[in-house]
Amino acid sequence: MGKRFSRLIACVVVALVSLAGAASAADGPPEIPLAIDKDQFQPNEVKVKANAPFVLVITNKSAKAAEFESKDLRVEKVVPAGKTVNVRIRALKPGAYPFLDDFNKQATGRIVAE
Amino acid sequence: MGGTFVVTLREGFEAALIMGIVYTYLQKIGAERHYGYATRGGLLGVLASVALGVLVTALSGPLLDLGPDVIGLAVIFVAVVVLTWHGYWMQQHARAMKGDVQRKVDEAQATHRLWIIGVLAFVGVFREGAETVLFLWGLMTQATSPSGWAGATGAILGLAMAATLGWAIFRGGRHISLPRFFAITSVFLLLLAAGMFSTGVGRLEAMGVLPQSLTAWDTSFAVDDHGLAGGFLNGLIGYRARPSVFEVGSYLLYLIVAGSLLFRSGRSTPRSCAPRGPVSAHAASDTEPGAASLRH
Repeated sequence: MGKRFSRLIACVVVALVSLAGAASAADGPPEIPLAIDKDQFQPNEVKVKANAPFVLVITNKSAKAAEFESKDLRVEKVVPAGKTVNVRIRALKPGAYPFLDDFNKQATGRIVAE
Repeated sequence: MGGTFVVTLREGFEAALIMGIVYTYLQKIGAERHYGYATRGGLLGVLASVALGVLVTALSGPLLDLGPDVIGLAVIFVAVVVLTWHGYWMQQHARAMKGDVQRKVDEAQATHRLWIIGVLAFVGVFREGAETVLFLWGLMTQATSPSGWAGATGAILGLAMAATLGWAIFRGGRHISLPRFFAITSVFLLLLAAGMFSTGVGRLEAMGVLPQSLTAWDTSFAVDDHGLAGGFLNGLIGYRARPSVFEVGSYLLYLIVAGSLLFRSGRSTPRSCAPRGPVSAHAASDTEPGAASLRH
């Protein structure tokens, strides 16, 4: 029983890794910069083209870790202090998509797809 | 201080619930001396969380972009498998239990499967663990000013509160009759796993692994995802204010498949009536004094 179970887990992990690899293999959509500094997102409103995928390049310039979170975008991404993280976002329908720093909820913003 | 308190309370909530249930389960099946499985699983979860937290701050580039997501997804799906397995096992166990003699036999049979308890404790702690570690770490570096100290204190109190909740479940769970405990926790773990499964599917959608589906409904005007109530409902039953069709579909699919596996499997066996005997006798003895004589 133990063997079957660990084989199952191994399969799940392998599948996820290859899926993630496939997801990153596509060629480059536009990069949109977003900074976290002094408990604020800069800018706090990000304009993007609707119906086209893009990459959010999030740089945390503050001294503590932040977590970029958007329930609508299904993204929860820790950005350690001083680091830059790329988050691929799928094509969005026109509309506003709020996000926040889950570690510091005063820091909020939104993506506006139009 | 209040803000950081809520963050760690919410992050630690799920882990505390799972640990509380796991210890109570071991106590209920008379396997107190196997608490070590849960303890070791939980401790390994803490160690893995610290390790991942350190790793994330050391990584950069594509590894940082994708690594934590892949690990996060793997943990979600492993958690779903283990929760389902445990729920199924608990149901079988509840049916098989006929008395103290049977109980000891069951325990011996069950012991070699107790490592699943360890895995459950591990994923329960590890799922939000690395995040919590990074959050606390950030606060500690800020703890040089009075407001920094307040933030760090709030975070520690939040974790302590979560741990107290887990402990309360353990204390309270001991007084609930065994069948009722099994019934409540089976349903709870089923909903928890369904929520995780649909979260995983939503992530796969966002990553572009699955095609994108439409939004099924919007209840953000009533209970918002980012609010306190929405956060706890999300942790408990996988609530989402604006779920996609795939998320709703996978939630229901999981509930139907796992629910029928859990709640139907035992009833079709020929022994189905016998194991239910002591269950109803126990339940009845809570309310009817005369029913106690049934046990002798």
